[in-house]
Amino acid sequence: MKNNRIGLILVVSSLAVIALVVTLLLQRQHKDQAEQVRAQGLGTVRSLAALPASVLLPAPGQPGQSGVLASLLAGRDNPDFAYAAISAEDGRNLAEVASPGAIVPPAAPLALASFDERSVAAGQNARAIREFRGPLASADGRLQLRIGYFEPHGLLDLKDLPFYALIALAVFLLVPLIYIVIKREMAPLAALGAQLQTLNAAQTQAQPGTALTRELDADQDVRGLAGKLNRYLDHTSARIRELEQDSIASMASGRLLEYGSNKMQAVLQCLPDGLLVLDPAGEVTFATGKIEPLLGVPVAEVLSQPSEAWCRDPELRAMLARFRGAGLDARSQMTIEFNPLGVPGKRLWATAQALVGHSMAYGTLVVLRDATREHLARQAGNDFVAHVAHELKSPLNVIGMYGEMLADVGIDDPALRVEAINVIQDEVERMVSLVNNLLNVSKLEMGSMRPERHRVKLDDLLRDAWQQARSRAEAKNIRLDLQVARDLAAVSVDKDMFRIALNNLLNNAIKYNQPGGSVTLMAEEGDSDVVIAVRDSGIGMTPEDRERVTEKFFRVRETGDEQRGGHGLGLYLSNQIVELHHGRLTIESELGHGSVFSIHLKKMPALAEGGQVL
Amino acid sequence: MKKSILLVDDEPHVIRVLRLMLEREGYDVASANDGNEALEKMAARRPDVMVSDIQMAGMDGRELCRTVRARYPDDSFPIFVMTSMTASEERAWVRELANVEFLEKPLSPRQLIARLTTYFANAATQENPHA
Repeated sequence: MKNNRIGLILVVSSLAVIALVVTLLLQRQHKDQAEQVRAQGLGTVRSLAALPASVLLPAPGQPGQSGVLASLLAGRDNPDFAYAAISAEDGRNLAEVASPGAIVPPAAPLALASFDERSVAAGQNARAIREFRGPLASADGRLQLRIGYFEPHGLLDLKDLPFYALIALAVFLLVPLIYIVIKREMAPLAALGAQLQTLNAAQTQAQPGTALTRELDADQDVRGLAGKLNRYLDHTSARIRELEQDSIASMASGRLLEYGSNKMQAVLQCLPDGLLVLDPAGEVTFATGKIEPLLGVPVAEVLSQPSEAWCRDPELRAMLARFRGAGLDARSQMTIEFNPLGVPGKRLWATAQALVGHSMAYGTLVVLRDATREHLARQAGNDFVAHVAHELKSPLNVIGMYGEMLADVGIDDPALRVEAINVIQDEVERMVSLVNNLLNVSKLEMGSMRPERHRVKLDDLLRDAWQQARSRAEAKNIRLDLQVARDLAAVSVDKDMFRIALNNLLNNAIKYNQPGGSVTLMAEEGDSDVVIAVRDSGIGMTPEDRERVTEKFFRVRETGDEQRGGHGLGLYLSNQIVELHHGRLTIESELGHGSVFSIHLKKMPALAEGGQVL
Repeated sequence: MKKSILLVDDEPHVIRVLRLMLEREGYDVASANDGNEALEKMAARRPDVMVSDIQMAGMDGRELCRTVRARYPDDSFPIFVMTSMTASEERAWVRELANVEFLEKPLSPRQLIARLTTYFANAATQENPHA
């Protein structure tokens, strides 16, 4: 069908070309003939006008006949010759000759001494005539010579028919040539069309939601090709828009990922632990800033470097070497504890974990954790156990020794017997006190010692404590005084806990005193607080000892022969209990002159009548 | 001649009981509260045996032993150190010192007397093997 159309177009085109060529040729021929007639007509008129009129006019007695004019008719070499006439000024034809079928038209006035031409209508259905005329001088007045020629008819001349046939043949012969050329030139377009169709079909199949607005034209012509091209361009544009949207989405996704990555990096950088990621070859690919305070090595010195280049700690280097290379699985993990050489006093845990997944080894993750506090706590725990064991063994040692002595030598010596009994009793009390304080410290540190505070009148509490401590003071020949102001303001305390703090202060004051010395329990009211003080005339403390005396297990270095039997928990416990009551413990002391321990508690506002006071 | 014993401990009750028991056994007993006092006493008179606690304020027993061995290199009289520490690393330091032995706490005075008796008997035998 496509070929037929092209052929038809070619045939029509060739006919049009032939018609155009023939038309142009006919026009050319008509023009040539007109020029020829004009040249001949004017030439003939000019040449005849030069002749004497008498030669041209008919002889007298033969009106209307002129020999010269007749010779024009007889010897005409132009088939279009129509007539020749000599007309008088009044329009009469003095002589005339005419071709068969031609009628000499009436003369028209002629401008003086001029040659001209005019078209003359020779009548209906007659051929138009071109008339050439000129003045003819004569004695009879002004004459004019007129010669008429039929206008060229413009029709195809049969004698030119072979010529036109030749042109038509040549044009027709060009048709198959052009056809072949077009076919040849169209072949790539056809192939392109086929490909576009295939692409369109594929895209349509791939995207069932995309509607083709028109069916492909089966004739595969240029318009079809253009249509396919347009559709392909439509598809391509749509695809480009999709790709642009995908690109925007991808860009947004990329930015989201970048944001997520930055966020994750910030999170990792904020972790208290130092992180290192090593590739399978052992080079560091990621490190957080925390490794510098932990290992003493800047991040810049670590990145892209093997462990040998930056790691000074042999334990860590050995562990990293074990995780280098293949043969590791996700269960490969190792933890070491070491003191980093770059940061003295620091204790670190380093855990290496193989990064393995999807049958791929991505390297090793190393987590560095500051274990200094745990290490110190562990050490403190061990020290605590050792200390407590020592504190328990010391009185047991004394009790055991006095027991043996009593059995071996003291049984007959009453003074030794009394001494042994007193020492054993003191040491037992010391152990009981130690155990009680240990339990209280344990409860305190576990957080299970919570004060149940009530409104308490201090007078009774202080008087009870004074009464309990009196016997111990008297046994050591120490005077225990009580100076409590009347109508002291009430305070909010846990009575049982507060009694422990108070007893520890009183026991210390008695224990670290001299025989014949004194201890005074005082209480007075200030503007906003109540101060309970225990003053002793004991051995006192150096300023250094005073600073540390409330530390756990701190014991003031004793001088002289007397053993005080302290275990370093009493003042620690008292201080903690006072702080639990939002109070503060202050210490004044002078070596050799005694100490004053003061508890400062906030006063409670006066109760309305009927309020309960314990 | 009485054998002299130097007791070093910051626990007065321990000194009191050991002195009483050892004097009853016929020993000449001197005592010190810490390492520094012990060195002072030693400068006045070298003991035949020193019995010392380890944990003491001031110069402790470990430093005292090292100082004694360094100060009197030709006199390696026996030193008994009383300790409640059982860990081997706490006891390793004595390996570098000659003739230093441990006494376990709680200390039995009878056991100490038995160790001293054995030591002096062995020493007497070595000095006079034909006696």
